[in-house]
Amino acid sequence: MFTPTYLAQQLINALNLGSLYALVAIGLTMVYGILRLINFAHGDMMTLGAYLALAGISALVLPAWAALVLPMLVIALVGVLIERLAYRPLRGAPEVAMLITSLAVSSLIQNGATMLLTAQPRPLRVPSALTQRIAFGDLSIAVMDLGIIALAAVLMVALGVFVKRTTIGIAMRACSENLRAAQLMGVDVNRVIVVAFAISAGLAGAAGVLWSSKFGLVDPFMGFVPGLKAFVAAVIGGIGSIPGAMLGGYLLGFAEVFFVAFAPPELSGYRDAFVFALLLIVLLVRPAGLLGRGEVNRA
Amino acid sequence: MLVLDNVHTYYGRIHALKGVSLSVERGEIVALIGGNGAGKTTTLLTISGLLRPKQGSITFEGQALTQHAPHQIVRLGVVHCPEGRQIFGRLSVLENLRLAAMHRRDGQAVRRDLERVYALFPVLAQRRNQAAGTLSGGEQQMLAIGRAIMSQPRLLLLDEPSLGLAPLIVESIFKVIATLRDEGVTILLVEQNAYQALQVADRAYVLETGRVILQGPARALAEDPAVKAAYLGG
Repeated sequence: MFTPTYLAQQLINALNLGSLYALVAIGLTMVYGILRLINFAHGDMMTLGAYLALAGISALVLPAWAALVLPMLVIALVGVLIERLAYRPLRGAPEVAMLITSLAVSSLIQNGATMLLTAQPRPLRVPSALTQRIAFGDLSIAVMDLGIIALAAVLMVALGVFVKRTTIGIAMRACSENLRAAQLMGVDVNRVIVVAFAISAGLAGAAGVLWSSKFGLVDPFMGFVPGLKAFVAAVIGGIGSIPGAMLGGYLLGFAEVFFVAFAPPELSGYRDAFVFALLLIVLLVRPAGLLGRGEVNRA
Repeated sequence: MLVLDNVHTYYGRIHALKGVSLSVERGEIVALIGGNGAGKTTTLLTISGLLRPKQGSITFEGQALTQHAPHQIVRLGVVHCPEGRQIFGRLSVLENLRLAAMHRRDGQAVRRDLERVYALFPVLAQRRNQAAGTLSGGEQQMLAIGRAIMSQPRLLLLDEPSLGLAPLIVESIFKVIATLRDEGVTILLVEQNAYQALQVADRAYVLETGRVILQGPARALAEDPAVKAAYLGG
């Protein structure tokens, strides 16, 4: 049963799922790093991205690339708008106030989408070129699966370069280390936060488009579970650390896929339980996560 | 250049500054001395905008600082080098320095200032690509001051630059402070090391529980019996 072909197939699946978790986890970890906000509305950016892609493909007949790029840009803007309207007025209030607000934003999006678009899942049909399979010997891989893996990798490398090289990237890292000191260095914190929200939401929007393309369905609650898993991924990797979020995302993808692939079939329903057990174990051994450096002094 | 008039600052319900008034003239080094909890750091944080006064005014060259956000205050030329250094440990030395000049548009001058920082503190040049968190305490203080220079201060607020450092390093830090003044930077210096502070300063204010209790030329204060007893170890 565990032939090399089967293993290779699972590897592709794991990379796929891991890429998507990583894209979502990055945004969570970026925003948390700067504002100490666990943004519960983050998964809903996936949902919104997916609906936009659906509209783009079925109503506007956009080409595939545009149905990815446009939602990304629009959702980035949505992220900025939400920060402006919902989170900025609470800056300086106890951290829990923002967290509760993000739950409210999430609930608003989920219920708003249900009201306007019904809870009925809608099929998303991607262009047939993407569902074609390429054969590598015994192994056949869908073009889309390769595309997701490659695209996620490109986005993450681009983000890495941005954060490492640009001044606003340096400012972002400084802010996540010590927000007050960054202000004393003349960093306009609001600008950094806006950029962080734009990137964060844009990546989640992209993940939403890819997710719904892969699984073929869009519904108002589709972002919830991946959002939660991405949070687990970010915590496993060390919340606040961008490389940690990437690592955590891929680890989680591998854990899930290989659990289902290797565990006895009657246990595969316990996939999520396994994921959360994994989180517990990691936190017992490394409370700050794999690449986390513990809480920094913010005095 | 800088005038504080009857400034009251609170931490929640704690009344930390109870009507502080002081002034700093262009080209001066003014020291702010006093014991723990006297309000020295609070005064600097209120000037740089991280704390807001409930009452009173702060003006810098005629501009009301209380109307500006902390990053705008830096742009006006008031640069705060905070207590405990607060360098960014995960950023490299060079990134720390670049960050502090991020808001400047004068690339030429920024490069000149970087050379100046490296000349003042050659060890920073050697370690430019090293994570700042791996520097020793003294080197971190040099980086903190270097970073402040990169923000192009006209008024530098220096909070406890000698804290926790070996005497030899304290010596060299104070030399740099004097050099900066000679180059035209005005300095408001907060120190627990009152002896050192009064040596380098032109004038000084003594704070106690949120109030200015004494002020005058640094030399005179250094001779004042009350100051000697309280802050200079008799």
